[in-house]
Amino acid sequence: MSVKYIPVQWNPNKWFYDGIMLVGVFVFLWVFLEIAPGVLSHERPINPQIHNARAFGACAFVMLTIILCIGPLARLDRRFLPLLYNRRHFGVMTAAVALTHANYVLGWYFAFSHIPPLEGLLSANQSYFQVAGFPFELLGLFSLICLLLLAVTSHDFWLKFLTAPVWKRIHFLIYPAYAALVGHVALGILQDQQTHMVSALFIGGPVLVCVLHLLAVVHGRVKADRIAKGHGWLAVANVAEMQEGRAKIARLPDGNRVAVFLHEGKLSAISNACAHQNGPLGEGRIVDCLVTCPWHGFQYDVRTGQSPAPFTERVPTFAVRLNGKIIEVDPTPNPPGTPVKPVPLPEAAP
Amino acid sequence: MAATLVLLGKIWLWAGAAVAAVFLTFGLDRIDEDAQEAYVFRPLLIPGVLMIWPLVLWRWWHIERHGDITMARYSPVRSAHTAAAVAMSIAIILVLSFGWNARQDWPGDVAPVQMTKGSDE
Amino acid sequence: MSDKPFFIGYMPAPEGLRAFLVIVAAAVIGGMAGASWVLGVGQDDPGPGAVRGDYGRQNLMGIVELVPYPLLHVVEGSDTIPEGTTLMMSAGNKAGVDARALPLDGQLAAVSGVVMERGDLQMLQLRGGRRGLGPGGGPMDIPEPVDMGRWRLAGEICDGKCLAGAMRPGRGLAHRACAAMCLLGDVPPVFVSSQPVDGEEFMLITGPDETPLPKEAYDFLSQYVSVEGTIKRHGDLLVFSIDAATLKLTN
Repeated sequence: MSVKYIPVQWNPNKWFYDGIMLVGVFVFLWVFLEIAPGVLSHERPINPQIHNARAFGACAFVMLTIILCIGPLARLDRRFLPLLYNRRHFGVMTAAVALTHANYVLGWYFAFSHIPPLEGLLSANQSYFQVAGFPFELLGLFSLICLLLLAVTSHDFWLKFLTAPVWKRIHFLIYPAYAALVGHVALGILQDQQTHMVSALFIGGPVLVCVLHLLAVVHGRVKADRIAKGHGWLAVANVAEMQEGRAKIARLPDGNRVAVFLHEGKLSAISNACAHQNGPLGEGRIVDCLVTCPWHGFQYDVRTGQSPAPFTERVPTFAVRLNGKIIEVDPTPNPPGTPVKPVPLPEAAP
Repeated sequence: MAATLVLLGKIWLWAGAAVAAVFLTFGLDRIDEDAQEAYVFRPLLIPGVLMIWPLVLWRWWHIERHGDITMARYSPVRSAHTAAAVAMSIAIILVLSFGWNARQDWPGDVAPVQMTKGSDE
Repeated sequence: MSDKPFFIGYMPAPEGLRAFLVIVAAAVIGGMAGASWVLGVGQDDPGPGAVRGDYGRQNLMGIVELVPYPLLHVVEGSDTIPEGTTLMMSAGNKAGVDARALPLDGQLAAVSGVVMERGDLQMLQLRGGRRGLGPGGGPMDIPEPVDMGRWRLAGEICDGKCLAGAMRPGRGLAHRACAAMCLLGDVPPVFVSSQPVDGEEFMLITGPDETPLPKEAYDFLSQYVSVEGTIKRHGDLLVFSIDAATLKLTN
């Protein structure tokens, strides 16, 4: 949450998350660099620099594959939401691992020449119009630049400064970055190597990512939020559907969503988009009298759209009314943080 | 060409360094109250400013002119998820298929063919 | 949906979710270890090429011949490189020795360096300056090349230095850009034939009439190709002068 910025807002869950992630990276590199070579029956060993480059590159590939699975998994099964909570740290670590890979490659394949390494990277192979032999390093470079961009804009300052929609648009680069990474692998190591299990992993990982994303798309279609209907005030739900501490979400004509909460027997409506990362507030719950975002736990008073002091986040509120048993909202949002008087449910409500 | 690209990259980063110097010492306090008297986190922002300094300048100008809180903050880009997921999946399937198809096997069974004899043979 | 556990990042994980999260954490670590094992033990053999520092520094005398890449016909050999051997030469890093060899074409030269070896392919990496390649006593007759006619071969175009052992692996598409940088630095290119020609699996590859390898051939580096050209035997080394227009990918 906001209040004075600090480098990282640690808490026990983040320590645990990062700990698991670091152990995963350490185990990956240890197995690849220390254990696996003992099994390889090569007459002469692979150059250490190439071996290191492969270890870090493969590790970044596996990490990014895991990261790309988290989003759709969390949409398909809410129990995976805790993996989303600290995904940014996972991303930053992946960028660091990928950068180490690039550093080994530049310091070996592109070193020792009269052409400076970066210029060599951009110019040594110019076969842009063929599949095998394509300068696959450039796909890796694109992917790395995207990962670095995402990593360096991961601090909460950037979310607030750029606004969540702009930040999200930038962070959509993860999709082309992953596609480029798969291209980097498919036109690089996959062309040469002869072991079927390696091919299976390099192909199976991306295919799993695609399947999960497409399943999440289908799931989103099936479970699509209802559309608020009517002219002027719009119907969003029936009182019978309301549950204490929970919300009903409806899509407004402008494409944005409203979340109508039932709190202590009264109805209040706020924007469904959290001020932090535009997480779906309506899928959250009221905890200690505050709407709590399911993504990162940002909280708002449902009656005012304001975060509790000393936090300063605000979300727009909406006017609510009852039309018989139909709950209606005024689709014009109030400025963020505007108090709205909650509407009590009739006593005899079923 | 490659040298020009590398030079442009360097110029971009140097321009970013200039923007970072001004923004992190002067601009940040003007536009974000949460940053006032918070200094330890600022070095973390330097790489970000280096990379996207034109966007930084634009947002800085925008916030100075229009304020920080606008309704645009609350319009998530959710629908783009579908397009992004489908586009990424298509790209991945295509590049894997083309890549796999282009794989070659060592032509160990192709024998050398002598087409003409040498003048010394 | 009534009371599914609700995770809030800065609060302890709810009771009902802890076992699930522990399983996921174990799966992530186990998955990464498993993936690493599969990828780590699945790496192909990088081949037998090596820098043979164990042979010691080679100090040789030989006749320099430019085809146009400099060859050395050894007339005073060592235990490792006997008289009569024909060697390709390169400098340290990704560079050839063309400039140093040019004034010595057709002359006896003293060379000094370390040998790289892959099967019967040898590449001598010379020391810097005149200590690596210097005049050795004036003009001498270059051994007469033997014309072996026109051939169509299948195989791979590599840079002779990485292939011989400067890098392991020193061939293949992942190494392609590195090979291109070596060739741009005048390291002699080598063709690896699918099957031996006159007993030789490796040969120096050049453009038509022993000119530098044409740039068109760079698009085929590290790929499996078939190509036509003439072969001449220079000492105990074959020189394959290709017609780049006949380059095409195999299978």
